[in-house]
Amino acid sequence: MKITVDGVAYEVAEGRTILQALDDLGLLMNGVDVPHYCWHPKLSIDGSCRLCQVEIEGVPKLQIACNTVVAEGMAIHTRNERVRKAREGVMELLLVNHPLDCPICDKAGECKLQDYAFDYGVPHARTREPRRAAKKRVDLGPTIVFDQERCIFCRRCVRFCREVPGTGELGIFVRGDRSVLETFPGTPLDNDYSMNVADICPVGALTTKDFRFKIRVWFLEDVPGVCTGCANGCNVHLGVANNRVYRYLPRRNDAVNGTWICDEGRLSYHRIGAADRIDGHALHGADGRREQASLDAAVAAAAAALRAVIERQGPGAIGALASPHATNEDLFVLRRFLEALGSTQAGFAVPTWRADALLRKPEAAANAAGCRALGFGDAAPLLERVRGGAVAGLLVLGHDVLATAGTAALDALRGLDALVLADSHRSALEGLAQVVFATRVPAEKLGTITNHAGRVQRVVPAVEPPFEAHAEGEIVWRIAQALDLPGFAGAYDVRAISKELAQAEDAFAGRDLDALPPEGAPLHGAGVG
Amino acid sequence: MSEHTGDDAFATLAGYRARGGWEAARKALTTMSPEQVVELVKNAGLQGRGGAGFATGLKWSFMPKGNEKPKYLVCNADESEPGSFKDRLLLSRAPHQMLEGILIGAWATGAEKTFVYVRGEYAHPADVLQRAIDECYEAGLLGASCLGTGFRHDVVVSRGAGAYICGEETGLLESLEGKKGQPRKKPPFPAQYGAFGMPTTVNNVETFSHVPHIVSRGAEWFRGFGTEKSPGTTIFGVSGHVRRPGLYELPLGTRLDEIVFEHAQGPLGGRKVKGVIPGGASMPILPASQLDVPMANEFLRERKTMLGTGGVMVMDDTTCMVRVACVITYFFRDESCGQCTQCREGTGWIHKIMERIERGAGQRSDLDLLLDIASKMEGQTICAFADAAAWPVQGLLRHFRADFEAHVEHGKCPFPESFEL
Repeated sequence: MKITVDGVAYEVAEGRTILQALDDLGLLMNGVDVPHYCWHPKLSIDGSCRLCQVEIEGVPKLQIACNTVVAEGMAIHTRNERVRKAREGVMELLLVNHPLDCPICDKAGECKLQDYAFDYGVPHARTREPRRAAKKRVDLGPTIVFDQERCIFCRRCVRFCREVPGTGELGIFVRGDRSVLETFPGTPLDNDYSMNVADICPVGALTTKDFRFKIRVWFLEDVPGVCTGCANGCNVHLGVANNRVYRYLPRRNDAVNGTWICDEGRLSYHRIGAADRIDGHALHGADGRREQASLDAAVAAAAAALRAVIERQGPGAIGALASPHATNEDLFVLRRFLEALGSTQAGFAVPTWRADALLRKPEAAANAAGCRALGFGDAAPLLERVRGGAVAGLLVLGHDVLATAGTAALDALRGLDALVLADSHRSALEGLAQVVFATRVPAEKLGTITNHAGRVQRVVPAVEPPFEAHAEGEIVWRIAQALDLPGFAGAYDVRAISKELAQAEDAFAGRDLDALPPEGAPLHGAGVG
Repeated sequence: MSEHTGDDAFATLAGYRARGGWEAARKALTTMSPEQVVELVKNAGLQGRGGAGFATGLKWSFMPKGNEKPKYLVCNADESEPGSFKDRLLLSRAPHQMLEGILIGAWATGAEKTFVYVRGEYAHPADVLQRAIDECYEAGLLGASCLGTGFRHDVVVSRGAGAYICGEETGLLESLEGKKGQPRKKPPFPAQYGAFGMPTTVNNVETFSHVPHIVSRGAEWFRGFGTEKSPGTTIFGVSGHVRRPGLYELPLGTRLDEIVFEHAQGPLGGRKVKGVIPGGASMPILPASQLDVPMANEFLRERKTMLGTGGVMVMDDTTCMVRVACVITYFFRDESCGQCTQCREGTGWIHKIMERIERGAGQRSDLDLLLDIASKMEGQTICAFADAAAWPVQGLLRHFRADFEAHVEHGKCPFPESFEL
């Protein structure tokens, strides 16, 4: 149906409210400003903040845009004097009791009360009354701290807990201006998605213990990325400053994660700068001595070790374990490496974790689907062939095989003549490898990954590793060059690789780095994920 | 309606039947179709007596037809408006009259159950009502086959926990469902999505109590009372500085000065009337000079006030209107559910300013600020509570600004004889 907003005609779906319709069009706060606190696109409508009032021609009273369903020919005004006055009124009332502690509030810089006060607030406070006193730094549970006096009672957090994880720990107690947000007695805010309440809190009332007071948000650059904690591939913003990731915030993608991420995924950013990162390429002597090495030296050593196996047992004795954390491009290079070598000895292992019906998928790695799409099967048969001696040289990307096969994998790999490991974090596998390459994590590289439902999404480098590390694809590429394998001429170029992948694999057609839309796109034949 | 409420037996089934009770319900259920009953109530022009004054027959007609979902009636007996106490009388002295009205309403709307939501503090009326309901079940007036007609209707008493906002129909529904009493946003309206998600009509105790008389005596008889636009009688609850406070059933349109000076016999001790709130604490006050107004909304509206619940509150010339404002704003601040920004913050802010003025620390600019805050609350929230909180402030400042200015000028309350806060 057709509506007009501030005189401009739009086509909108029937049955949508004004805010939903504007959101569908991508216009909300992006061309058409209808400020709002209680409304959230993924929560039930509350209609209580009263900030989203608009004028509708033919309707005497201003109406709230969040709960007013569009009708054919509806003419909506969002910025006339009457609407502006109403917004001004709401803002003034909201600030009657809200503390003016922006200088010490962790939400300053991304606080909707601050933003809207700037846009719609009155320039001078008219209240002489003392502000409401309330509790400070209330510990709501393992992840969230609550500054009670900053709460504006939008009830987003209450509805979130009821409607998304379904745990319902929060409620608004008492009445009037003595209302307080609290947890139900004996029920701390403790669920797998609890930290989302800090994201949706429009003010600084709810903050995460993890991020609170770490850095002022205006120093952060939000880099679009993907959480690699599990196969869902939730979209995130990586908050980056000083070449360090300070937080993940969910990035809206209705086809993947809506506007949420799980707490464990959110905190997985700590893995990026973790102390157990492999912080450089290294050669391991037979005596167990570890020696730092340049990329060239490590590549030469890896090529030599693999070449010795090839010369002794032929290329079929070389195998590879792919990593479900690697990008599609990394995996494509690995596959091409094996094809050039003439080996079919490949597989991958993917760790699992506790899944749920919301976002968390059973596979605790971002690109298991990419491994499958590119032809990598289960690692178990390959490990059997290693045990049987048919495979004597192995190129291992990541140590996921330990998470699935455990010590059995270690025992099997102990007998290898050549073990080359490219990994980002330390593990027991590192001690077995002759050559260890430090790899980048997805937050440090460019490429694509494929989520559980076959949606291909882009990752871009948000930070640089503070040590020499490379993408798995580049390492494999360099080893292939050192082995003089055909098809690896020139420098490693991830964009070119991505294009070649899209041309080589029908499922990936049009899914290369430069062609992917921000929300990603499903593999052909994979359905919409 | 209130004729026999002085008779203790009227609260019992036998006493009520002795006065012709339950014959109207028999007539409706055995000789009239539901549509005819709705039409009759529409023709009578009965308006809701809970405060909003919406046309009852029209409201009943909003209930969806058919039996896809169970339909409910709710009797709003959460009488909490300061100055209003008429429902208490009807519940405790004439419960069968109300129950008979409920059964007729149920027949008209096809409702299978009525929830009577009784204010928590009305313990005695609730007990009396429950006894009456038990009598009805025993006598076959309620239950599987009401009056032997095969029409099933059940009545359940639900007791509130004592929150004014639970008298607002959707706040009531939330509370009835066991949730915190907070009004629901509309749409959907209760006729589509009411109690427990089912189509529901909510009527006041007095509204139901009128219905048997309309069915017995007809629409024209009912229209013989009151004004053309506001037919019938209502029970005015008169309180405050009068010799004979109490409940008076009078035709709508009875002049306010007649109620105050004739029925309630005017102020005590030779005092003069200073102001009268005509319809409960949420309605704007009228000064003594404007009491010549017929008590019906079409006339009261011209004087920027409303009939509300008919709770007439009389104040004599010893009264400090700033103290009145403090008391009223304290009540609304305390009872605001806190859901909507304007109401939650506005009621609190206004009360704090009122207290400051009463303490003598007010400023002249505070008076315009109060009006400005009230205007920002009015008409902008989920329910009419914010309006109810804003209107008395506007009324008091409109007619008694001098009291407020005197506080500001003298830095103290100039009415030492007024009631203590």
